Amino acid sequence: MVKKFFEWVISPMGRVAVLIGALALFSLAAYGISESQKSPPQPLEFRHDVHLTRGVQCLYCHPGALRGPSPGLPTITKCWGCHQQLEITKTSERLEPMLKAIEDGTNFVWIPVAQVPDFVHFTHRPHIAAGVNCEDCHGDVSKMEIYENPQVLNMGWCLNCHKNRTEDNAINNPKTDPQVSALLAEKRVKLIDCGTCHY
Amino acid sequence: MSEKISRRDFLKLATAGAATTAVLTGCGPSSRYIKREPYMEMPEYTYNGLSTYYATTCRECAAGCGLVVRTMQGRAIKVEGNAGNPVNLGKTCARGQATLQGLYNPDRVENPTNQGRGSTLVNDPMDWDAAVKIVSDALANTNASEIAFLLGTGSDHLFDLVSDLTGALGAPAPVRFGALSMFESRATLSKAAENLFGQAAMPFFDLANADVILSFGANFLETWLSPVAYTRGFAKMRRGNPKRRGYFIQFESRMSQTAAKADEWIPLQPGTEGLVALAIGRLVAEAKGGALPKAFASVDAADVASKSDVKLETLEHIAQLIVEAQSPLAIPGGAALGQSNGLFTAEAVLALNALTDNFGKPGGVFVSPLSPNQDEYHRPASAQEMADFIAKIKSSAIKVLFVHGVNPVFELPVSFGFADALGFVPQVISFATFPDETALASDYIFPDHHGLESWGYQRVVTGVSQSVLSGAQPVVVPFHNTRAAADVLIAAAQLASVNFEQALLSVSDEVGFIQSKLANLIGEADGSFVAPEINTFTAYFQQHGGWWKNPAEPSAAPSSASVLGKGLKVEAAEFAGEGEFYFLPFVSPTLGEAGANKPWLQELPDPTTTVMWNTWVEINPETAHELDVTNDDVVEIRSEAGVVRAAVYVYPAIHPHVIAMPFGQGHTAYGRYATARPAGDRFMALVPTSQDAAAGQVFPRGVNPTDILGLHFNEAGDLAFAGMKVTVKKTGEKQLLSRLESRIGVYNEGLGEH
Repeated sequence: MVKKFFEWVISPMGRVAVLIGALALFSLAAYGISESQKSPPQPLEFRHDVHLTRGVQCLYCHPGALRGPSPGLPTITKCWGCHQQLEITKTSERLEPMLKAIEDGTNFVWIPVAQVPDFVHFTHRPHIAAGVNCEDCHGDVSKMEIYENPQVLNMGWCLNCHKNRTEDNAINNPKTDPQVSALLAEKRVKLIDCGTCHY
Repeated sequence: MSEKISRRDFLKLATAGAATTAVLTGCGPSSRYIKREPYMEMPEYTYNGLSTYYATTCRECAAGCGLVVRTMQGRAIKVEGNAGNPVNLGKTCARGQATLQGLYNPDRVENPTNQGRGSTLVNDPMDWDAAVKIVSDALANTNASEIAFLLGTGSDHLFDLVSDLTGALGAPAPVRFGALSMFESRATLSKAAENLFGQAAMPFFDLANADVILSFGANFLETWLSPVAYTRGFAKMRRGNPKRRGYFIQFESRMSQTAAKADEWIPLQPGTEGLVALAIGRLVAEAKGGALPKAFASVDAADVASKSDVKLETLEHIAQLIVEAQSPLAIPGGAALGQSNGLFTAEAVLALNALTDNFGKPGGVFVSPLSPNQDEYHRPASAQEMADFIAKIKSSAIKVLFVHGVNPVFELPVSFGFADALGFVPQVISFATFPDETALASDYIFPDHHGLESWGYQRVVTGVSQSVLSGAQPVVVPFHNTRAAADVLIAAAQLASVNFEQALLSVSDEVGFIQSKLANLIGEADGSFVAPEINTFTAYFQQHGGWWKNPAEPSAAPSSASVLGKGLKVEAAEFAGEGEFYFLPFVSPTLGEAGANKPWLQELPDPTTTVMWNTWVEINPETAHELDVTNDDVVEIRSEAGVVRAAVYVYPAIHPHVIAMPFGQGHTAYGRYATARPAGDRFMALVPTSQDAAAGQVFPRGVNPTDILGLHFNEAGDLAFAGMKVTVKKTGEKQLLSRLESRIGVYNEGLGEH
């Protein structure tokens, strides 16, 4: 039976069938990958560019980035705190879901876009403390209608940055103060250590 | 082309197929979507993924230990000690840890309720405005002398508020009571200090710097006065000084948890503790030479040895230890003072300290300093005073009774008749957080917040040599429709137009009241922090979890010579009842007076017997053999005041003439964990399971040993709770006690089956 099947596979018809099958699988996979790169449906069509170009700072809505692992999402009362002050946003049709949520006391459920797997202990605070700006990782959000990651947030990308920030000629430069050099070398070991993010 | 697919090709194909499947399923959008829901309203100071810590004060007993509670997204998660608070320096006891289970207890009183003295909690929620109106009417329409407040030993700010309120009304001052203070014989200790030192106060015993400790019944590692502070002192005594390990001797007729940690446990005849102290004092004085102090002149060591069942050699050996010690310390407490001669015992033991001249010295006895905003030491009511209070109620002299923070129906012995006395009060208003026995017997329950939801402060009475005021603040937003008793009383008093004192006129709520009391501390020197004005002071007070003075040189220490010059009246203990056994009730080290509604504490094995979830009676193996009972046999214990039945725990570490029972169980109300399941509980064989269960009746879990305590007091007015004699009778019933330790092989049990 199996032998018969393999005989059919190597026959011309069989080869065509296998090719079609392979193409079908490939296109399905391609579709899956392309779908995964799309922005997920959100409860409200939120425009980062509109907010940023009007001067709202990142940390105003995501203050947790300054203090802890998660930047946090603004509460609806925070959104409404500003929006209720402008007639145009108070009555806007596009903001209807928000008005409804405020009236019902229900909440928005967002789907986060920038995320890392569970086995990565990422925390925003040390990055901000080290002088990394939001746009260094998240891109120029003021030009994005719908937020999307400017790059894949994978380990190679993380490590590149960790290396680049310490891989300075300073470590090996004889002109560098040896103490600074030693500190940089130690910092580098810490920054590329597995246990820094996976613990 | 080959007719066959090679093994290698097959593997390639299979791998490609598996990979495609993985990509198809793994990369699909739905699999990677997680959802995040922000707060509707963000609690202040909260950051996602970060805990927020609040300093507050434990309310499980009146010691005033500082807590730091970890909260996550508005929920209290974990309780730890506040390392800054001098009382507990970052430690807590098991009851402190379990305070979370009070907060999250499913049986809390959730709304103000028109209870109407029902047998179970009446689900008849009221409006808080109506509740305040009821309190207000009670204050306005009752003759001031007929209003009474009965408060617990916790919540000192509420005591101050009620004191101000009763002062403004012209009503009698609030009465405070707690079973712990009854079992600690606080009035006796305070009276003994007054007689010897000329000052009614709580003594503080500096265990940490002592090198030999004699404890006469004081269970300072369990519940006594300030267990965490004394446990820390004890640990320091043992390990704090690398050059010496302190030596500890416990005199007690039963081996308690404290006695189990002692180097020597001396079981003695109950009521002879004072004599033993005097005999040791005399032997020490003789060994030191010189004139025999008057206090010890009247005893004969050999006579004491025969009366107390302690060998003369043992007394001599202990006396020798004291003579050689640098800073010996003797502590009176617990059951030793709960005797008819308790005051004499306390004085005799304190006099032993005078002999070694350790008053006001490191490793000695201090007079506890007053708390920062305290004018004099207010001790809780003694049992005698409670009996007088109940007599007053029974004479129909009280028309309105407010109860907060205490459960006298359970905590006071039945013989006091408190439950009956409530029948003489037309209106009883309870501020209970939990539906305890007293709350159910009230007309209204206007529930106060749980301690972790409350503002307040607690004065530290003893346990540290410095003056401490522990501060409490809410660590979470109240879960239920509860309201602070202080707020209810302030609102009611304002509604009733009570002429508050000037200081209270400006107070609009509990926090305002607390600030008005803290305001006096702003200018005080030598405090743990300074602040220019009240708002900053309050903020620091919350941040640090209280305010305390830096340790100071001990104030005027009592004179040892004057103590030794006093002749002590040697008294023999009198025992009530005809039985052959001395009955020794002791506070359960795990449950305390109010821990029975917390499953963590119920499940925590008793440190000496490992029994959980129930009450047992400890009987010496010899005695058990004579009575023909063994483990789990139910015996009937009868005193002149009543009868209880409990299962036997054969305990080798108890004097053969003594039987002991823990206090803490036996609730008929107080929630699902404190009471028994009606049927099917194999550890509750004493519970009738058939018809009564069908009637939905609630059964007590375990028994309350105070049910068989009679009304006998010592000279200081404390209950002579250890002065009862009882008979023990085998019933033939069995009740399996739930215990952690194995039974196999102990007293030949279970050997036949294994």
